[in-house]
Amino acid sequence: MKDLMKKNIRKIRYVTSFVSIALMVISVAFMAVRGINLGLDFTGGLVTEVQLNSDVTNHQIRDQLSDISGNLLTVTKGGEDGRWILRYPTTSHVESSQIEQQLHQLSPQVNVISNSVVGAQVGQDLVDQGGLAMLVCMLCILGYLCFRFEWRLASGSLLALLHDVVLVLGFFAATQMEFNLTVFAAILAIIGYSLNDSIIIADRIRELLVSKPNVSIEENNDNAIIATFSRTMVTSGTTLITVGALWLLGGEALAAFATAMFIGILSGTWSSISIGTVLPEWLKLESKHYLPVPVDNAP
Amino acid sequence: MSKHSVQNKAASSKAVRKSANRKGAKRLNHYSAWKYLVLVVTVILLAVSAIPTWYGDKPAIQIQYDQTPPTVEQTAQLLRSHDIEASKITTTDNQSVMVFDSENDQSVARKVLAESLSKSDQITFSYVSIAPDWMQKVGFEPIKLGLDLRGGVQFLLSVDVDQAFTEKRDSMIAEVQQYVREQKLRGVVVKPSGSNGIQIQANNPERRASVVNYVKKSYPSWQVKRSDNVSKVTPAPEEVQQFTTLTLQQNLKIMRDRIEELGITEGLVQRQGEHNIRIELPGVQDPAQAKQVIGATASLAFHEAKSPSDARTSRDFVVNDENGNPVRLNKKPVITGEHIVDARASRDEMGRGQVNISLDHAGGKIMSDFSAKHIGKPMATVYREYQANAKGESERHDKVISVATIQSQLGTQFRITGSGSIEESQQLALLLRAGSLTAPVSIVEERTIGASLGAENITNGFAALALGMGLTLTFMALWYRRLGWVANVALVSNMLCLLGLIALVPGAVLTLPGIAGLVLTVGMAVDTNVLIFERIKDKMAEGRSFAQSIDLGFDSALSTIMDANITTMITAVVLYSMGNGPIQGFALTLGLGLLTSMFTGIFASRAIINLIWGQDARRGVRV
Repeated sequence: MKDLMKKNIRKIRYVTSFVSIALMVISVAFMAVRGINLGLDFTGGLVTEVQLNSDVTNHQIRDQLSDISGNLLTVTKGGEDGRWILRYPTTSHVESSQIEQQLHQLSPQVNVISNSVVGAQVGQDLVDQGGLAMLVCMLCILGYLCFRFEWRLASGSLLALLHDVVLVLGFFAATQMEFNLTVFAAILAIIGYSLNDSIIIADRIRELLVSKPNVSIEENNDNAIIATFSRTMVTSGTTLITVGALWLLGGEALAAFATAMFIGILSGTWSSISIGTVLPEWLKLESKHYLPVPVDNAP
Repeated sequence: MSKHSVQNKAASSKAVRKSANRKGAKRLNHYSAWKYLVLVVTVILLAVSAIPTWYGDKPAIQIQYDQTPPTVEQTAQLLRSHDIEASKITTTDNQSVMVFDSENDQSVARKVLAESLSKSDQITFSYVSIAPDWMQKVGFEPIKLGLDLRGGVQFLLSVDVDQAFTEKRDSMIAEVQQYVREQKLRGVVVKPSGSNGIQIQANNPERRASVVNYVKKSYPSWQVKRSDNVSKVTPAPEEVQQFTTLTLQQNLKIMRDRIEELGITEGLVQRQGEHNIRIELPGVQDPAQAKQVIGATASLAFHEAKSPSDARTSRDFVVNDENGNPVRLNKKPVITGEHIVDARASRDEMGRGQVNISLDHAGGKIMSDFSAKHIGKPMATVYREYQANAKGESERHDKVISVATIQSQLGTQFRITGSGSIEESQQLALLLRAGSLTAPVSIVEERTIGASLGAENITNGFAALALGMGLTLTFMALWYRRLGWVANVALVSNMLCLLGLIALVPGAVLTLPGIAGLVLTVGMAVDTNVLIFERIKDKMAEGRSFAQSIDLGFDSALSTIMDANITTMITAVVLYSMGNGPIQGFALTLGLGLLTSMFTGIFASRAIINLIWGQDARRGVRV
């Protein structure tokens, strides 16, 4: 397996790069066409999770609540029997106590498990703030990368990072899964993870460029990937295992987070091998860019 | 092939020489005793601090009795008659603490107990650790849980500072207009401009200059800009900034006081962003009551105070001041708080605290008339709050916050001196502004998380953590065999240290995304060890001895580990500074996890490896 990989690594890198670019285009298309299904945290509105008798149906709830809300209500089934998630947009002006009263007529036992009311302005502020945080995060990392690596090498890591974020967003657009605040946290964590992966390969590339200046960049990249391959697999493996555990047992509240992380880690591993190393080649990275001795080795 | 191995040998002997030169007389792979001491002490300390979290905490009620408290049996009897079993009741001096198994029991007990109490008894609700007493005495507490794990109510209040500022501006306009009238400056028009500016328009430059000078003198922190026959007065940016900060502080204080009155000792009130206030009330299950208290209206009034020698009349009423001394007042207030535009503390010539008060135009006129007739007489400031009580009825609370003697005739701007130290003046200014209700507050976000959902989240989160960790430990042990066990020891101590650290860091709160952060940390913490082990493998493949490979492996992996951790740390810091409850929890565990994983992954695992294989000169060992 390893020999096969060694022989074909160049081909693998180029093929996966094209797949990556194709996936990015598809993701952007999904984002443009379907948009992202922003959750309550960002849009504002009302979400109530209630526990009713298990024989109550979706239609009954809808009919019962139509008096106070018309057809603005969305009803989704919760994780257990008799658990329902009710959503209202910000424009509905419905009070949660009203809902509780109405539901009492359907089921003798009404247990409000959680209830959130978020103003539209709060949601908008969060969107702005979140966008800003992401930008600041990217800029800080860009600054750090430029300080540590030559810009051609750094650009590979950055493209890989962009690729991972776009892919996860594209997945959320395609499936219309709810994008809430924890998913946003996952995106930032993915940024960190993706860089982690690319940096470790970039570190090797730099090392090889310095120690073997006469070998072509393509070959150095191949060697760097092969040298770090088992580390890449082991770390991605253990992280995927733990995120998988979160997916399996973390319950509904963490499902979206775990999904985003899972895809992000897969894509992060993929992109660090593919476009993360190919872009510096296209930008004509050469060992002379690392000679004389790079800054960090100076006393 | 043979040539190849010779080369390798040469390289390795060179490396040995090099490392020997570099380290001088130091032994390869050797940590001195004090490093082991530091390591062991740190791990044990943090692990012990993680123990109370294992026990957890339980909802409790504390009652501070004014007189002798009922005995433990009496209290238990009372609770039992309502089908509640307290898991622990302790009584010391005037204090009684009851611990319950669930929030439900706690809230029922609260109703039962509240009825049996006299007015001067104080009842508070909190969570107490159920870890052994000695741990609490040493100061080890369980990790604080966020609302999503504990259940409770959370509000986000928006303070309408702009509205308040516009009102302040409007009263300024009224005052300038009054000046224009008094000075008979015809043709001068004073009107609002924009949301917080003033426009002074006049064809006669002298008259306009006169008004502008008056404005400059009365409001030094405002800026005047001239163009043709119009002068525009706008507040300096610092003025707006200061006004916003003061308004927010005022609201924060009011909210903190009110929540304290609710008896919730663990409530959190903090500023969020430019003009929002976040309130978290853990354990509260009924948002309606909390909402009534938070939304209570406060007002303030100045009353004529009667000296003891004055005759009593039917129009008198008696209010206690902060020290509980009765003050007799005229029932009809001189002016009420809505006339107060601003109140700020400062120092007088003697360095004593004083409070400068600005009234609006109408208020200034009333005050001027009243004070002219009452020079030398005392005037009291009364703080009044309308609150819903336990039965849902609106109740009025009055409190005299200061009594001062009128020294001279007062206008729209006057000061209250003799209010004590500068801190006390600041408090008074805060209350005065509070009474003036300048900034309307509205609830823009409300979240209720049931206690059962919180408990469910904890179970789910830790189940995922246990599974993820179990699988990772198994994988590492199988994949790296001997070294894998070292990584596993490092990983387990990493988790203990991390939990211990979260419990120790003040203000650190564990949330559901925080648990997700813990799980993620497990996956990424092994990365440090994987990087090192892979380097060691590389060096072994080059033909070095195990001991040399260990030394070089750790050295060469270090810069990569640092790069990887620093970039993740950047994202953690950015996330944390976004400052939103659950997400902050995630950033916190992620960030602290990076620190502990570097500590255990590099330092602790090296210490173990040094002890076992530090001098191992074998070559070709499979790792």
